[in-house]
Amino acid sequence: MIKFDDVSKTYPGGQLALQKVNFHVAKGEMAFLTGHSGAGKSTILKLISLMERPSVGRVLINGHDLGQLSHKDIPYIRRDIGMIFQSHQLLMDRTVFDNVALPLVIEGYSRKQITKRVHAALDLVGLLSRAQNAPMALSGGQQQRVGIARAIVNRPPLLLADEPTGNLDPKLSMEIMRLFEALNQSGMSVFIATHDLGLIARMKYRNLTIKNGRLIEDGLQEDVLLNETNTKLPSDVHVDNDTPRYR
Amino acid sequence: MSLLFAGRKTAVTEHKVGIVQRFVMTVLNHFRQLLASLGELWRQPLASLMTIGVLGLSITLPSTLYLLVKNTEQVTAGWEQAGEISLYLKPNTSVAQAQQLRLAVSLFSEVEAAELVTADNALIEFEQASGLTNSLAYLDKNPLPHVILITPKASYVQPNAARTLVKKLERQTHVDFGKLDIEWLERLYATVSVARDVVWIVAILLCVSVVLIIGNTIRLNILSQREEIIIMKLVGATDNFIRFPFLYTGMWYGLLGGVLAWILIAFLLWWLQSGIANLANLYQTQFTLTGLDTTALGVILLLSIILGLLGSIISVQKHIKEIEPK
Repeated sequence: MIKFDDVSKTYPGGQLALQKVNFHVAKGEMAFLTGHSGAGKSTILKLISLMERPSVGRVLINGHDLGQLSHKDIPYIRRDIGMIFQSHQLLMDRTVFDNVALPLVIEGYSRKQITKRVHAALDLVGLLSRAQNAPMALSGGQQQRVGIARAIVNRPPLLLADEPTGNLDPKLSMEIMRLFEALNQSGMSVFIATHDLGLIARMKYRNLTIKNGRLIEDGLQEDVLLNETNTKLPSDVHVDNDTPRYR
Repeated sequence: MSLLFAGRKTAVTEHKVGIVQRFVMTVLNHFRQLLASLGELWRQPLASLMTIGVLGLSITLPSTLYLLVKNTEQVTAGWEQAGEISLYLKPNTSVAQAQQLRLAVSLFSEVEAAELVTADNALIEFEQASGLTNSLAYLDKNPLPHVILITPKASYVQPNAARTLVKKLERQTHVDFGKLDIEWLERLYATVSVARDVVWIVAILLCVSVVLIIGNTIRLNILSQREEIIIMKLVGATDNFIRFPFLYTGMWYGLLGGVLAWILIAFLLWWLQSGIANLANLYQTQFTLTGLDTTALGVILLLSIILGLLGSIISVQKHIKEIEPK
């Protein structure tokens, strides 16, 4: 599904964000991308969602080299990728319904189809009763779930999440993760960037660890955590509720 | 259309939408965006009204000047004819010779009527008109020549034909010179022509200012909706999808500015009408100001819409592309 082939990224000004990163996330897989702030997680997500282009190497989705696609193709590619952000990125002057409906309106669905799908997505995230509320009237966790509903409403094959639980308490974070798990079980590929190792420690999924722009670990979460805690626990990692968490 | 996943259903493929239905949906979508952009103006009434007010005034000024020129041309159209040619005879011409010449001239095919005003009659008329009887008494002799007043036939009243007739008459014996009473009219025409050019220059400058005002307003709209545009791009909106509401907003600004201009012009005409009527009465004529006819109104509204669209296109082309999610 996602393939990084010797990808390096240097930002204008010479800042090296990624160095020869190689990995492959299979279709229907759920995987985490962890690392410190500034390690390069967001850059990887930006390369997948075409907010950035690699300086060297290739990013492929479903076998298609994103570097070969023109600027005009970008919107159509983004329709195939559901994106969830830490800051939710909601339109605060619209209702929850309107926010979730946005990808469908853009794709040109009929009003009837939009209503049906938005209600289904909101039902899935438990916010159907809040459809006519403004996002401002919702809690942080609820706003994140609106973001998730919007990301999945047009049933994209791939779901990207950038720090989706960053501002949430552990209970809400776990709820969100369970939701991702459910979506993955329905056939959606899910790729989540997070530094909340405590949360994902409870979930047995593949974890890609990135540090200073290099992929340093790729394996099951419990193996990675074992390595992190037993062999090279970074100085900025602390243990909270028996689980490590990057700051 | 899915570029990455060949089998993935989209709005079009999922519901097997035909070309006709797609066309209808596109039209409906645009209509929805058109109304939504009007709603955007409604949501910020004060800012929208101020912009529309500025546009309305900018369109009113050249339109009013245009009407002024049009009315002036209408008034002077009736004066375009050379009503009379004054044929001044040489000082030593006798009354009998003048009578003979009048008769000869009246037989010209170009001449409708010819009337002789002898030097004596002319002096009497001058005395009566000027009140200078005492002063004129000091004159040794009458300095005025005999004059034949000639009314050309209808086909010879146009300035060029009348000028040719004057030249022909000037070749007659005893004729000193002929005078065509349209020189002042030619000066008026020249003035109106300059005024027309000024209207064009003002109109062009104000049209440019309308484009700039709308362009700047749309730029501010785009910048104030920067976050929304970024979110829309993140969920797959094309530049066109984002662009159209702003284009429609520019179009609404233009249209509403044009309608305001029309209302202002109607009000100005209503206001001036009584004053003009009074002025016309003083000249013992009747005159009604001509307003905007349907064609002129259509042109103003269409031009306003085009200017609105042009301003927004310039702004949208530049700014929508610059806003990208980072």
